[in-house]
Amino acid sequence: MIEIFQQSLNGLAIGAVYVLIALGLTVVFGILGIAHFAHGSVAMFGGYLTFLVMEKFGIPFFTAMGIAMVGGAALGLVIERLAYHPVQDAPHINAFIIALGLTMMMEGMNLLMFGADQVVIQTPYRGVFHIAGIAVAELRLIVILTACVLVGAITLLIAKTKTGKSIRAVAQNRQAAILMGVNVSMVSLVVFAISSALGVAAGALIGALLAIAPGVGEGLAVKGFAVLILGGLGSIPGAIAGGLILGVSEAMAAGFISSAYKDVIAFLVMILVLLFRPEGLLGKR
Amino acid sequence: MSQSAIRLWMGLGFGAMAIYMPNLVTLPYFMHLIILALVWVILAQGQNLMQGLVGYVSITQAGFMGVGAYFSTLLTLKLGCSVWLTIFMTPFFTGLLSVLVGYPSLRVKGHYFAIVTLAYNMVIFTILLTFSSVTGGEAGISNIARPSSFSLWGYVIDFEGRSNSNYYLLVLLLAALSTGICGFILHSRVGRVFLAIRQNEVLADAIGIQSWRYKLFAFVMSAALAGLAGALYAHYIGFLNPEPFGVDQSLNAILAVILGGSGTLTGPVVGAFAVTFLPEYLRIADSYRLVTYGFILVIATIFLPRGLVPVAKDLYLFLISLLPKRK
Amino acid sequence: MKTMSKKFAFTAVIGILSASLGGLSWATEKELVLGVNDALTGPGAVYGLPQSNAVKMAADEINAKGGIKAGADIYKLKVISNDDKANPTEATNSVRKLIDRDNVKYLLGFCCSGSTSAVASFIEKENVVMLVGNAAERAITAKGIPNLFRTRPPADFTGAAAGTFVAKRGAKNIAVIGSLDVSFYTQYLDAFEREINKAGGKIVAKETFGLKDRDMTPQLTKVRALNPDALLILGYVEPAAFVYRQATELGMKLPRYGFTSGSEEQFLRVATSEQMEGVWDLRPTELTVEALDANAKTYVANYTAKFGTAPSPSSPYAYDQVYVLKNAIESVGSADDTKKVIAAIRKLIVPKEAVMKYLPTAGAMFDVNGQAYTSNGAFQWQKGKWVYVSDLPSDTKTYSDYLRSLRN
Repeated sequence: MIEIFQQSLNGLAIGAVYVLIALGLTVVFGILGIAHFAHGSVAMFGGYLTFLVMEKFGIPFFTAMGIAMVGGAALGLVIERLAYHPVQDAPHINAFIIALGLTMMMEGMNLLMFGADQVVIQTPYRGVFHIAGIAVAELRLIVILTACVLVGAITLLIAKTKTGKSIRAVAQNRQAAILMGVNVSMVSLVVFAISSALGVAAGALIGALLAIAPGVGEGLAVKGFAVLILGGLGSIPGAIAGGLILGVSEAMAAGFISSAYKDVIAFLVMILVLLFRPEGLLGKR
Repeated sequence: MSQSAIRLWMGLGFGAMAIYMPNLVTLPYFMHLIILALVWVILAQGQNLMQGLVGYVSITQAGFMGVGAYFSTLLTLKLGCSVWLTIFMTPFFTGLLSVLVGYPSLRVKGHYFAIVTLAYNMVIFTILLTFSSVTGGEAGISNIARPSSFSLWGYVIDFEGRSNSNYYLLVLLLAALSTGICGFILHSRVGRVFLAIRQNEVLADAIGIQSWRYKLFAFVMSAALAGLAGALYAHYIGFLNPEPFGVDQSLNAILAVILGGSGTLTGPVVGAFAVTFLPEYLRIADSYRLVTYGFILVIATIFLPRGLVPVAKDLYLFLISLLPKRK
Repeated sequence: MKTMSKKFAFTAVIGILSASLGGLSWATEKELVLGVNDALTGPGAVYGLPQSNAVKMAADEINAKGGIKAGADIYKLKVISNDDKANPTEATNSVRKLIDRDNVKYLLGFCCSGSTSAVASFIEKENVVMLVGNAAERAITAKGIPNLFRTRPPADFTGAAAGTFVAKRGAKNIAVIGSLDVSFYTQYLDAFEREINKAGGKIVAKETFGLKDRDMTPQLTKVRALNPDALLILGYVEPAAFVYRQATELGMKLPRYGFTSGSEEQFLRVATSEQMEGVWDLRPTELTVEALDANAKTYVANYTAKFGTAPSPSSPYAYDQVYVLKNAIESVGSADDTKKVIAAIRKLIVPKEAVMKYLPTAGAMFDVNGQAYTSNGAFQWQKGKWVYVSDLPSDTKTYSDYLRSLRN
């Protein structure tokens, strides 16, 4: 019994990170229709940047993460203008291939700038509480809380602000939005900035909880898409539910079935969902 | 001379040069790369069927290559089958397996399809790695046999030994055959349906084409070619482990098709050679390899979306048009 | 006229001077190219890059001392280092290029088993000498390839010794967590398990994690519920460090024995010293200054000064390869005939410049399989440092015969 709770708690923290990644992906996909595969590498870049800022200037974790998020947003703007904007009218397949190319470039640049060794962000949150036989690591709670705060902020941004309104308009019907005078080009930029900022936050949290290393980004991106498909492309509540479910199922599968196939769970989930309910759990039919 | 006569002579010329190649190439290093490039031609032609003709990017070509490689290897090693037999059987096996993979995946379009095929590639990779009792896992399988020698008109054609010229001819033949098959498909009615689906699938469905059948056919053919490439790879290198069959190699296949020319016949050939030789020449800037690769992919998609071959063709036609016309 | 004669005189003087200077060098100076094939990027780089650096450092040292003096020739060393990314195809391409285009006769490095095995599968046909380092897969030397030598002992040689040690310390129910799809870890485990079973104990769990995994809490939670007396961790340093940290975070207080091999720096990036306290590493007596001698201390000092970071514990396997070659070539008198060099390596006694502590078999460094053996040691993390606690008694003769018997 204790085991189930322990596994679930472990899984929730990882799930929270998945939620952040998936949110970054879903805003871009739902609003701009681009499968932004390079998102995982952007997240890694954010993690590395956070580490660097902390090491070089001694800045505490959350401030460093904030700075990195701003940096990430800037990177998002650059990516949108230089890579995706030129192919916005070309067949979708081109945007996808650009995404793949960007992934390689970002992985390569991360390697050049930060080296091949794994990077672990040291935080002051090292405590472990033992409650009723379950070990609760302070850091894991912090990760969950941070994710909640960020998700809340984004939801508020989209629901209550004017920019959020423009975003929702473009998501509903791009052509109509243009006709209504919405600055679609600006919306594109804003969406990418938000997406990258969220990705960077996820990267920083993964760096604190586990490690950032070459190749981790790609895995995160694939899992992010798995969450998207599970939750429903373009749905924010879907991304939240999907991320948590994936995180917990992975922990359960590794704990009770077999650790060798832990990663395969994400893919099996994806395949099953596409077979039986392609629009996802909370997506629109 | 007419256009087709010129083409015929050019084709024959290339063919003759290709067969004579081993005598021109003295360094085993280059022969090695050429053989690998030809194996990649087969892989790229398969990728082209899905990506270039039908317009669906599949990210699982390397996965099927791996399945083919292990299938052929395990049959020869564990059951003692003849290598010729297993190389022949492999495309059928991977083709069959791809029906299992393709059937659910093809129910979805565009991005979803790409992501699902990516997932399949990762599943295949994980299985190859974890089932080490059968596949040898990361440590791999060594001493994979070459095809057995046979005699033809009194000459013994042998595939062992340091000289790889006979294996080169074998791979050359199969690469030409694969290109031929794809050419046949391209120019047939099936090929025209593929192109129709790529241009506008909704419209194609509306006029009564059962697009899922054609898509599945393309998928199965591409998997069969991938399997063949895998078997040829395994029996050439003599050692096999899951490392070359991950997602990175599938991305390489996509790059090969894009660079060379999506939807053309010679495009994948050019792309396969580019993708095999480029990394060797970029060795000087090894740490920049990934960035350069990605950059090429991005630039090629933005500025050269049709690939090198169509651009080269246009250039050739343009140059011809500059020649003084006969009165 | 005047300028002409001035020019003529000038040229004549230069000519005479250079002729006489040229005549002064009796020995011909030649260049000996060493080809290093290692994982310089990717997950294998933690082992491959230090090896490549070590070879470069050894080459620079030898050149500074005047090169390799073989017979009438002096060889200055040049190192070409290629990245094989631990990928078999890349490794094959790289070695082909080294042999065919760069005319290399001596291949060194080889940190990772997959890529090394790929090269080993065709190297017998080539006129080169291949010296393998960190790659621990047993099959590499079990095949009896005449031109292949390995400085690092196979994993199961250490596994058996480790099993005896752990059994003696009273552990009866041991849980294992490791990269069990990597066969040299399974080989270590098999030998380990045999010794444990002989002493009446058993392995109660075998959990896996991948090379790129960093979250092992699910596996550890499962193991925790089984209440074992000890934990055995088999993996690369980067993921293993996470296992150590997460085990403490989950409140597991049991002896942790590992086969991971990493420097203090590499572990401290992930876990605190308190979390590592008491962890054992049962491995070949790699680079730890208390266990080794003056050579080791100098090696660490020089490496750190040259590359700005501490050397990895397994990097000397490559360093020693260079000195093996140096001594063999010197005893033959030339570097051109690889067959003679191979014969010399077979008879070689352990070079005095070697950093690792090798156990000779029948007086020679390499046995009939081309395999060298280092002693095995038990190391424990005490207050922030790896401390050499004791030797793990290991029998090279028995193992060497066993390895020989595996040839078909």
